[in-house]
Amino acid sequence: MSKIRAFTMPKWGIEMTEGTIAEWKFGEGDSFSKGDLICLIETDKITNEVEAEYDATVRKIVVPSSDQPEPVGALLAVFDDGSASDDDIARFVNDFVPAQGGVAEGKQKKKEGEPKEAAIEGHEDKPKAVTIDTNRPISPEALKLAEAEGVDISDIEGSGREGRITFQDVQQALRGPSTASPKGTAVLPEETDVFASPLARRIAAIHGIELGSIKGTGARGRISKKDVLAKVPEDTGSSAPASFGAPFEAVANEAKVIPFDKIRKVVAKRLTAAKQNIPHFYLRVSVRADKMLELRKTANLVLGTKASVNDYIVMGAAKALAKHPEVNVQLHGEEIHSFAHADVAVAVASPKGLVTPIVRQANRMRIDQIAAKTKELIGKAGEGKLGFEEMDGGTFTVSNLGMFGIENFDAIINPPQGAILAVGGAERRAVETDDGGIEFATMISFTLSVDHRAIDGALGAQFLSTFKGLLENPEELFA
Amino acid sequence: MAIKMYRDAVRDTIFEEMKRDSDVVVLGEDVVGGMGTAGGPEAIGGIWSTSGGFYEAFGPDRVIDTPISESAIVGAAGGLALSGKRPIAELMFADFIGVSLDQIWNQIAKFRYMFGGKTKCPAIIRCIYGAGYNAAAQHSQSPHAILTGMPGLKVVMPSTPADVAGLMRQAIRDDDPVIFMEHKALYGIKGEVPDDLDYTIPFGHARLTRAGQDVTILATGMMVGMAERAADKLAEDGIGADVIDLRTTSPLDEEAILDSVEVTGRLVIVDEAPPRCSLATDLAAIVANKAFASLKAPIEMVTAPHTPIPFARELESAYLPNPDKIEAAVRKALAYN
Amino acid sequence: MQLSREDLLEAYRRMKIIRDFEDFLHEEIAKGEIAGFTHLYAGQEAVAVGVCEHLTDNDKIVSTHRGHGHCLAKGCDVEAMMKEIWGSREGLCKGKGGSMHIADVDKGMLGANGIVGAGAPIAVGAAIAAKIDGKDENGKLRVAIAFSGDGACNQGTTFEAMNMAVVTHAPAIFVFENNHYSEHTGFEYAVGTDKDIASRAEAFGMKVWRADGTDFSAVHDTMSEVLEYVRAGNGPAAVEFDTERFYGHFEGDPQRYRAKGELDRIRAERDCIKKFRETVTEAKLLEGEELDKIDAEVATRIEKAVEAARKAERPTAEDVLVDVYIDY
Repeated sequence: MSKIRAFTMPKWGIEMTEGTIAEWKFGEGDSFSKGDLICLIETDKITNEVEAEYDATVRKIVVPSSDQPEPVGALLAVFDDGSASDDDIARFVNDFVPAQGGVAEGKQKKKEGEPKEAAIEGHEDKPKAVTIDTNRPISPEALKLAEAEGVDISDIEGSGREGRITFQDVQQALRGPSTASPKGTAVLPEETDVFASPLARRIAAIHGIELGSIKGTGARGRISKKDVLAKVPEDTGSSAPASFGAPFEAVANEAKVIPFDKIRKVVAKRLTAAKQNIPHFYLRVSVRADKMLELRKTANLVLGTKASVNDYIVMGAAKALAKHPEVNVQLHGEEIHSFAHADVAVAVASPKGLVTPIVRQANRMRIDQIAAKTKELIGKAGEGKLGFEEMDGGTFTVSNLGMFGIENFDAIINPPQGAILAVGGAERRAVETDDGGIEFATMISFTLSVDHRAIDGALGAQFLSTFKGLLENPEELFA
Repeated sequence: MAIKMYRDAVRDTIFEEMKRDSDVVVLGEDVVGGMGTAGGPEAIGGIWSTSGGFYEAFGPDRVIDTPISESAIVGAAGGLALSGKRPIAELMFADFIGVSLDQIWNQIAKFRYMFGGKTKCPAIIRCIYGAGYNAAAQHSQSPHAILTGMPGLKVVMPSTPADVAGLMRQAIRDDDPVIFMEHKALYGIKGEVPDDLDYTIPFGHARLTRAGQDVTILATGMMVGMAERAADKLAEDGIGADVIDLRTTSPLDEEAILDSVEVTGRLVIVDEAPPRCSLATDLAAIVANKAFASLKAPIEMVTAPHTPIPFARELESAYLPNPDKIEAAVRKALAYN
Repeated sequence: MQLSREDLLEAYRRMKIIRDFEDFLHEEIAKGEIAGFTHLYAGQEAVAVGVCEHLTDNDKIVSTHRGHGHCLAKGCDVEAMMKEIWGSREGLCKGKGGSMHIADVDKGMLGANGIVGAGAPIAVGAAIAAKIDGKDENGKLRVAIAFSGDGACNQGTTFEAMNMAVVTHAPAIFVFENNHYSEHTGFEYAVGTDKDIASRAEAFGMKVWRADGTDFSAVHDTMSEVLEYVRAGNGPAAVEFDTERFYGHFEGDPQRYRAKGELDRIRAERDCIKKFRETVTEAKLLEGEELDKIDAEVATRIEKAVEAARKAERPTAEDVLVDVYIDY
């Protein structure tokens, strides 16, 4: 097995970044011995003689002597024991990648114009193999490893008997010290009369469960992990801290850095601009949704659709917008563009962030069509397949966080649109009946964010009133 | 080279050393056998036939048949050793260390250290140990682990007649106290023994009895033969096992163990004793600590169970390690991924 | 008493060395300067000295946890012992043994012993060695002596050793120092044999002697007979000395088990050194002034030993690993 060795620009001192081959003392095909002067290298400070560290044959001089400096780590020549074929040498030169972090890395890549595959990272960029001659006790495998990897064993403290160096010692020297991330000490409550496994104690502490109440089924009647887990309330799902909370346990809390992707860059830019530039004002209203929910059941049955509450809200908003075109607007510079038909954008959380695909002319659609369209758009959003044309424009946006139990919230207007409707969750509230009694009703809260430059308060309020009327008397949606 | 039985290697080596060195003294229960009986001295010559002819050759001063008093036997060995003799005390069954433990543990093991290195205690305690004869719970044990754990003692566990000769001679000439563990089930095995009357095997040099690349098997005493049989069977399937006979558990040839594991990456330890706080766990700890980087599979241990030794043949067979168990352990180690 | 003036002076000196050694230690230990457990021999000096005066370095003794007296009587170096008790690496055992494990094998002192009753079997081994070595040019055997107390006499090892000595016909001597207390338990309670230890040895088939251990001449004369018998090759023998322990089992022992005024009484009536002094001066064998001179000389010697022990080199962590084996 021939051992091909790279001879690279050495690094003398921390400041050296490049050097110039002043003179080669051997030509291609010449053999030299350990200790022979191989070449002279000039730096901006000194001219240095380079002595051979091993016996070898010069197979290829990559950089002849010249005035041109080469970066530290650059391949200068290739040596071997004389047995490698010319093809092997050529391949070696071609595949050569300077050691990581070397000055040559970037420069040579640039020179070659294309980055090398990481796959050829192998024997070349490891330290040179050496022959170790030592009186210190060392196991054969350890010596083999040290020689193959060029490990300086003089710094290794042997862990074997009388300081004998083991394979493990050399391997550790190669790997370097670990960066342990200590987790610190967990404080457990004192429960001296309870016989429980340490793990069971830990879990019980996390969930605030008293061990005294548990009957142990573990070895010798000990309370086991299983016993404690059986007492952990199911619906907490994950290991959410219970009322008393988990004892503090220090963990690594380094930020996971997530660069903006293209969508987020656009969203961020647009929302920042919107929040900074648009004079928002907010109008809030609660809508009684009982009738709508009743009708939805019937309509869904009749139409064979699975329209959601949100689809009804989109429909209601679209119809109200059609009746109030002064709210169904886009703002462009100092112009207000008013539309007859409502292109309603629906805010959808997608894997790539918030997207707002548009249900166009939603005011003209039947509920099953709206449902089909929103379903299609949400599906595409989930797969990240929404096209630009599906998100461009729009005259109004509906953003619904009701499914998360949010009561109500204020949304940022999606420019150039003039308004956005934030939808809260449906909740049962006590309301006064016509005859002065009390009954429970399903109420949904809405907040309309309005661009005051385009829409005045009264206009917004009228729009909301119409919207409320449509939802509370939903048969009008189908009129 | 002469073909000899293990027991004869014991007897002959002691006999030759007694001829060579008049300080060598033998004492123990029935080492003469028949004292005070109609049959007379040497009516038995030791129940293990490891001291036959001693009394006739060396007389009652140097071949001391003792009462059944293990404490006094070991204690006297200590006193003899402090007084310049080289006593070889015999515990007829290693199980009897229980009644003599103070003298082994608190006395002979510690004299040199307690006395600031100003004395030596060249005593040998021969312990006849091991199962295989259906001798049940108090006459079959392998108490090498507790003795190996006692600083000041050397513990020898030969597995062949040649090793008996070389290690016994070394023990007799050694200036430190030595526990010499003879496996009773090996007494009848035969093997070549060097004729050289100065043949010694230095302590702490393990013997590689089979060389393989795939797994390391560590064993002592009777377990060595079992490990070899398992290794031979595995070799038929192309699985190569290093079988290492430790020979001495104190001092321990740590280098032999680590060097082998660094090559094979897999380790099976065979130990005749129960599994807790044992030689097996001790060796496993050393390897886990010093060759963690080389291990490719968890260390397997083939040991007796955590029970006393049962009497009935079937039970004792089930209790002991055997080649099949060793083979299975090797295959398990190889299957680990 | 058939001792010369020189022998008597030497006997007094040795007893006094032991007494002062122990009295000094008693004070130093109270100051907290000395580590570990220490068991003082004061009160029993006449036994150690009366026995060991008959011995050469070729005769062996095995001692007990209360061993300072035996060591000093057998010829262990005072200063080296003091340094050992101080834990110095210059100590007799390089600081590895301490008070309970002082030994000097070259002097025939095979070790004090922390295990009560452990010494007797070792002494039997030494006696067997003496038997193997045979008689000297004067037709005498060397002997090995096991010092045991009224505590050790209840250990099975002591019984095993006595039987083994008889069976092997070894020149072993079992010296039982009955100081009436095994640790904190009375002899009357713990020794089942009626007020006697020697009869146990007798039951094993040995010739036995009994004497007052606070009377130096009685000890000395008795041992003359015992040794003549054993050195002649008659097998083992035993002797019981009735004696007194002036301090507790260990230093720090509150000694609540003592009767009221007991210590004052035994110090007044049973002090072997006081009795020795009275006897030899009354018999005009020695002058009081000679003895006073020895007192002063011994006190200085002990003070110097303590001083040297205080200044002696301390052991290092590396010393822990040394002298476990000769070769490992």
